[in-house]
Amino acid sequence: MAPPVRRGKLAYKMLGWFLLISLAPMGVVGYHLVGISQSSLRKATLSMQKTLAAGFADTAYKYVTTYRNVLAETAGIEEFAAMNPARQQQYLNRILQVHLAILELSVCNAQGAEQLRVGRLLGAAPPLRNFENEEFLIAALRRGQYIGKLERQGIYPTATIAVAVADQKAPPPGKPAGVLMARVSLNGLTSMLGMEFPATGKSAAAVVDKRDGFLIAHSDPKEVFKSDARLSDEELKIITTQTAPEGGGEMSLSDGRRLVGAYADVRDLDWVVYVKQPAEYAYQGAVEMRKQVLEYLALAVVFIVMLSLAAANYIAQPIRLLRVAAAKLGRGQFEEVPEMTPTNDEIGELTQAFLDMRENLKEKTGDLLQAQQELEKLNRELNKRVEARTRELKAAQEELINKERLAAIGQMASVVGHEIRNPLAVINNSIYFIKTKLGLTPGGADAKIEKHIKIIESEIRQANGIINEILTYSRTRELKPERVLLNVWLEELLSVYPFPPHITLDKRLDPANPPVDIDTTEMQQAIRNLINNGIEVMPEKGAISVHTRLADDRGSVAIFVGDAGPGIPPDVLEKIFAPFYTTKARGTGLGLAVVRKVVDRHRGAVDVDSVVGQGTVFRITLPVALAAVPGVRPA
Amino acid sequence: MSRLLIIDDDAHLRESLAEVLELEGFECCQAGTAHAGIEAAKKVDPDVVIMDIQLPDSSGFQICQTLRKRSRRTILIMMTGRFLSSEEKKQGFELGADEYITKPFDLAELSIRIKQLLSRRTAD
Repeated sequence: MAPPVRRGKLAYKMLGWFLLISLAPMGVVGYHLVGISQSSLRKATLSMQKTLAAGFADTAYKYVTTYRNVLAETAGIEEFAAMNPARQQQYLNRILQVHLAILELSVCNAQGAEQLRVGRLLGAAPPLRNFENEEFLIAALRRGQYIGKLERQGIYPTATIAVAVADQKAPPPGKPAGVLMARVSLNGLTSMLGMEFPATGKSAAAVVDKRDGFLIAHSDPKEVFKSDARLSDEELKIITTQTAPEGGGEMSLSDGRRLVGAYADVRDLDWVVYVKQPAEYAYQGAVEMRKQVLEYLALAVVFIVMLSLAAANYIAQPIRLLRVAAAKLGRGQFEEVPEMTPTNDEIGELTQAFLDMRENLKEKTGDLLQAQQELEKLNRELNKRVEARTRELKAAQEELINKERLAAIGQMASVVGHEIRNPLAVINNSIYFIKTKLGLTPGGADAKIEKHIKIIESEIRQANGIINEILTYSRTRELKPERVLLNVWLEELLSVYPFPPHITLDKRLDPANPPVDIDTTEMQQAIRNLINNGIEVMPEKGAISVHTRLADDRGSVAIFVGDAGPGIPPDVLEKIFAPFYTTKARGTGLGLAVVRKVVDRHRGAVDVDSVVGQGTVFRITLPVALAAVPGVRPA
Repeated sequence: MSRLLIIDDDAHLRESLAEVLELEGFECCQAGTAHAGIEAAKKVDPDVVIMDIQLPDSSGFQICQTLRKRSRRTILIMMTGRFLSSEEKKQGFELGADEYITKPFDLAELSIRIKQLLSRRTAD
């Protein structure tokens, strides 16, 4: 039998297959799903950054153009050029009051000579400078405006914004009379960036001059408000080498950090807005999503495992039952086979086949058991028969031994008898001689001598009788049966039997008068012996009964010879047929032995029924001569 | 007077039988063996021979046969102490036996029987 650990292997195998079948596609789909989602999330993140960058680029443009417009508005005031410096100063002071980011305002002529200079913390009359050949002067005179010359005032970034001041009087019209220049603090951009990109999320944004990498603004004020404020060269290189006006992507830095960044050029300026975020933060959503997807996947796995386990159990259960049932069946425990209901599938068919097999086996085993029982029964009967036969054989053997013993006795008796007959003959002769010699004729000589001679003669006769009896019993003469009618034969026998006068005969012969095959000499001896015995036990008065009765099957006839004597006690009764057993004072004990021998030789039976005080009945049963029985023909 | 020859190995039986039969008027001689019996028969030429069937040197039937060959007239009586089967009896009669007697026998009866046989023979 399989060890218990192997139980359910099928279920586990099925479980494995189920898991493989269900989880493999799910894993593939999940993997791709996560990939797709992640990439779209990244795209979304990037696109958002791009939007932010573009948005802030616009904001930055607007920021600087606001101040340019303020300057242009002022410069465009009619007669500004023609105004006296005091008026001009009034205007400029008002601008300073309104626009806090404007740090300093200057007015210079077309040659670059500074004519008016107002600013915060400059004092009442600051020294005037000459801007000849300054970039902003040339640009403003040529194009009407200028935004540039980024420099740090202290630690704060500033930009120079200049617009041409038109001279209404001097020809050609529109030819600039000078330039209105302002130094503008760019701190506002930083604070705007700081608001737009709070420190949380690790995202950062910066505005950089593309040409020299000047850091104009940064979402983190600490990064920008210092004298050596700059982005890392690596980042700068990536940002400043882009040709498209806006874009973005992932960047791998040499220190191992990975960034997701976007940039957008600020319109009309050489500035670029740069937005960045470490990849791990940028993709946090994707990571979160992946985590969630994995969680759901894990849940699904657990669910599928349980479902598969249940399914595998469901499928394996009937098979397990079958296995248990088969094991029971193997042990012949037909009734202990577990309950199984065939389902409408192959396992059901298997179950049905199994149940059919069980029935067959049960039947066959039943037959076998029955056969075994019958065999055992037959065996017992055989044993009984063998025992019976053994008993018969033993009886036969005993009989044989008995016969041999009797034969030996007979032989001895024959020898002894013969040897005794000689002396008896001699005595007999001598007595006869004496009797003759003495002339003992009746009424003659001495009566006493005569009496004794008679006694001797009588004893000789008796001795001779005994010897005759012994010799008769031991004689092994051949049986000479002849067919006689029982009644006829018995009638004749009884008619010549010398019944004494005190004995009456009760004779009742069955009128069927069946024929029997008997050796008349021997059978006569047997009947005579029985009658002799009967007479002997009734010395005073009594009746001898001789009855015959044909058996109902007409196959045998019984001869009853009974007396009304004292009966035979049971302990004696069983011995009376034994040779040489006698209760008489003088007797050989052979009378009944001869009866039995004779009856045995006729294949008959003799038994005795005796009631003490009432008498004894001997029964000799002889087979009826079949051929002559009316109505019965031999086969 | 008729002559009787009694052949028996039992001397007492011989003698008692001889003396009884002498009382009856027979002249008796005896022999103890078959050989002696045949010799005696040659000598005395008996009218009657009474012989035992069993003798030490031969069987009574052989004597019977020998004696019958010798004389057709001799009366041969066989004595026996045991039962004879009818085959034995037949054999004896065929060999010439006239009578069988079984020991012990009634002597008066025997005497009368012998006389009867003798007178019948004489009548022949």
